[in-house]
Amino acid sequence: MSYALIVSEVRRGQFDERNLDSIGFANLAGKAAYLLVPQGDYAIDKGSVDLIIDTGLTESAFLNPLVMVDAITKVIDTAGMPDLIVFTHSSSGVELATYTAGRKALPIITDVSGYDKNEAIFYKSYYSDKVFGQFRKAKEGPVIVTVRSGSFREFVSDRGKAADTKALEGISGSVEGREFIEYVEEAKTGVDITKAEFLLSLGRGIGNKDEIPVYEELAGILKATISGSRPVIDKQWLPKERQVGTSGKTVKPKVYLAMGISGAFQHIAGMKDSDCIIAVNKDPDAPIFQYAHYGIIGDANKVRDKLKDILKG
Amino acid sequence: MNIVVFAKRVAATQEEELRITGDGKAVDLSKIPFKMNDWDNYAVEEAVKIVEAKGGTVTAITIGNQDSDEILRRAIAMGAKDGFLMETVEVSDDPAVRVEAISNLLNKENIPFDAVFTGVQAEDDQFAATGGILAGKLGIPYASMVIGIDAVEEGHFIVRRELEGGLQERIKVKIPCVLSIQSGINEPRYVSIMGIRKASKVERKTFKFNDYRAGQEAMIELVRWSYPEKKGGAKILTGEMDGICRELLGILKEKGVYQ
Amino acid sequence: MYGENIKRVMTCIQCGKCTGSCPESGKTPFNIRMIIRKNQFQSDIEEYIPWYCTSCGACTIRCPRDVKPSEVVIGIRSMFVEEGQIPTQIQKALENTFVQKNPWGRARTKRGDWSEKLDFSVPHVSETLSKRLLFTCCIQAYDPRCMVIPQNIAKIMNSCDIEFGILGEEEACCGNEIRRIGEGGLFEELLEENKAMFKEYGVQEIVTLSPHCMNALKKEYEGSDIKVVHYTEVIAGLINEGRLKYKKPYPRKVIYHDPCFLGKQNGIFDEPREILGAIDGLTLLEFTRSREVSLCCEGGGGRMFFEVETQYRRNSEVRVEEALSKGAEVIATACPFCVMTLEEKAVEKGLQVKELSEILMEVI
Repeated sequence: MSYALIVSEVRRGQFDERNLDSIGFANLAGKAAYLLVPQGDYAIDKGSVDLIIDTGLTESAFLNPLVMVDAITKVIDTAGMPDLIVFTHSSSGVELATYTAGRKALPIITDVSGYDKNEAIFYKSYYSDKVFGQFRKAKEGPVIVTVRSGSFREFVSDRGKAADTKALEGISGSVEGREFIEYVEEAKTGVDITKAEFLLSLGRGIGNKDEIPVYEELAGILKATISGSRPVIDKQWLPKERQVGTSGKTVKPKVYLAMGISGAFQHIAGMKDSDCIIAVNKDPDAPIFQYAHYGIIGDANKVRDKLKDILKG
Repeated sequence: MNIVVFAKRVAATQEEELRITGDGKAVDLSKIPFKMNDWDNYAVEEAVKIVEAKGGTVTAITIGNQDSDEILRRAIAMGAKDGFLMETVEVSDDPAVRVEAISNLLNKENIPFDAVFTGVQAEDDQFAATGGILAGKLGIPYASMVIGIDAVEEGHFIVRRELEGGLQERIKVKIPCVLSIQSGINEPRYVSIMGIRKASKVERKTFKFNDYRAGQEAMIELVRWSYPEKKGGAKILTGEMDGICRELLGILKEKGVYQ
Repeated sequence: MYGENIKRVMTCIQCGKCTGSCPESGKTPFNIRMIIRKNQFQSDIEEYIPWYCTSCGACTIRCPRDVKPSEVVIGIRSMFVEEGQIPTQIQKALENTFVQKNPWGRARTKRGDWSEKLDFSVPHVSETLSKRLLFTCCIQAYDPRCMVIPQNIAKIMNSCDIEFGILGEEEACCGNEIRRIGEGGLFEELLEENKAMFKEYGVQEIVTLSPHCMNALKKEYEGSDIKVVHYTEVIAGLINEGRLKYKKPYPRKVIYHDPCFLGKQNGIFDEPREILGAIDGLTLLEFTRSREVSLCCEGGGGRMFFEVETQYRRNSEVRVEEALSKGAEVIATACPFCVMTLEEKAVEKGLQVKELSEILMEVI
């Protein structure tokens, strides 16, 4: 039977949500979903896959491409060649997928965010999503893919019964070439706004320095990092290290929430490549709205207070 | 320590709206300036830094037409000793084809290396595959998303890999190996025009890509291009303040920055 | 290591006129006389020091021994540039200019987009009879705030039947700031590229909008004999000839700020004042420091891309406060960098900053 081998991702005892996209992709492609997992005490929706293959490997060994290529080889030896080997398009997913492609001499398409079943076309992002390349296999046979987070989870379905678990025996978790030492939390020396995923950025429109602590409170609840535009830094409402813009830092967070920032050219240059820009400003003609994905026309402080009310609700 | 670095010349498309031409067959890059792939810039810098501290040489390799020579000049200006161009008019869309040629070049020309560095991905195709496929093919250890090289010791590197959400993995990787370098690992030096002019005097070698391809055909093919779904300008949230703010929180959740 | 500057530097008598005229000395660690002194002894200069200089040129203009201190600063900067030891923001501006031919890194293909918003079409300079080129300048091609300047001047010239064209995406940064940052190699490349364009299209005259572009094109594009003027010279001429007539009054108190690259470095003091003075109802005020001793706005010499670490009082604030104390309602100037730096402080204090062409658009 044709199947998709899904290499799951488990991080610090959590079955990652990204795996749902891998499972959804296998469903969309019409393949039985065989899920390759490390050992551990984490929750999986067993009704969403057809087989669970327990490698018995530790979570960290599961991050090692040298180990994993052996595990994948063993699966192929016992269950036959899959039609698809699916990884998440994440730091470790891509690492495992590309290494496997090299070792097994298999075709690979990374960052797949769409699939056309009729034509067997894989959609792959080029130039930061400005265009997409439509790929297909040049000849019949298996293909390795890494799938983009959020792209296929809607295709996860319930099989009405829990999948069986099969143990994969004899995979060594340690190899000579690459050894896991430890997990490291990124050193937090001061604030580095360029590393933040969510920036709450403040501009002149917030009025005066006394408003800052109230924004800090909101940032605390939202787990956002505070940054600011040049006038705010100039007035020393915020330290220089928090400045976004040509003469400050260039940032690319997932979300850039700009409150009371009108969007001077030099500021825009420092944040325009953020994944999602949300602007709050009372001037509907403020240039920042030209760059934002979402806008709120209103007083920054009022929006802040309302957000706080709702969150504390 | 001898390090081979792959660097790619890519179109600087960040500010451009790209146009698909020829009924979906091509993307028009004719008026767009080109530059060294950002990630590769970090990879070259990291290699040069290591060699400056430990001795050895850095060799830069690029695939492309004669214009890609500018990448080699830049790498040499940064501190690479040699620059090799694998010349081809059309670069294959399949990274496996490129890797085949690269690995054959390393073997046939007896290019000595302790490590191969690549950028994590290229700005154009975002494939992020060269390093992994090459390591797999050569059967040597691999690590990607390398955000720190903590130690270069006898026979191995101690590196940190970026996972996600500020989490990193520290690992020991045996030499020879392939490392894909993440942006932000260092601060690439400024290369002045005078520096590039000086580098132009260093001889760069050219190899014909097809001589090293060994008949490797593409395993995947790019059949056509398409645009993403239209997003349009800023969506202005309207209505009562309470509703607007709830919608805002919904967006934050959707983007995964707030639970 | 200081090359050709050293002979001049050795003639310095340490009189201190340079420091006395410097817009940074006194309030920041930047002491231009001390830099020259250290240069005489070939002693090291801390790498953060040279970046304070705004390239206003006051020291060079005032120096009694022709030491050209501002050029010495460029020499020191170029040393750091060659070593690759420069502030990140400066590095970015240079790399952007290398790739996209403008320090902001905006798409070169969009350099001519500003002209598309006009209700008449602006031809490529090659299609004009006069071969008169309107040189846009980077910030005015891309920044929505400054984009109105080329648009305004294009409208005025068009209405006065002065034929002109543009280079659009074929125009590269003039390189004025790039040279001052110390990247002489890149400056040469820009200069060669622009000169090749001028030659290919037979450009006869260049009307510049930014005083910075005018300075480079006029004084630093060696071997070019193309006539280069600032737009205020063109407009003042039109007014004198009666070809441009004001139709409306402008009953406001306007104080004029002399841009360094227009005024003290290129001697254009009168034309902007003539243009403003001829407007009905306009009261023209003067700063105490005006004309040759005008206080630098701190936007030149790479300072548009880079801010020094220490916080200190900006000259723009000093300017705005004086304007207010003199009862001005509007600060007028004729340089996009001055507009940007002054406006930031002015809006906070309820004062307007207008580029000359913006006032013109309200009265014609």
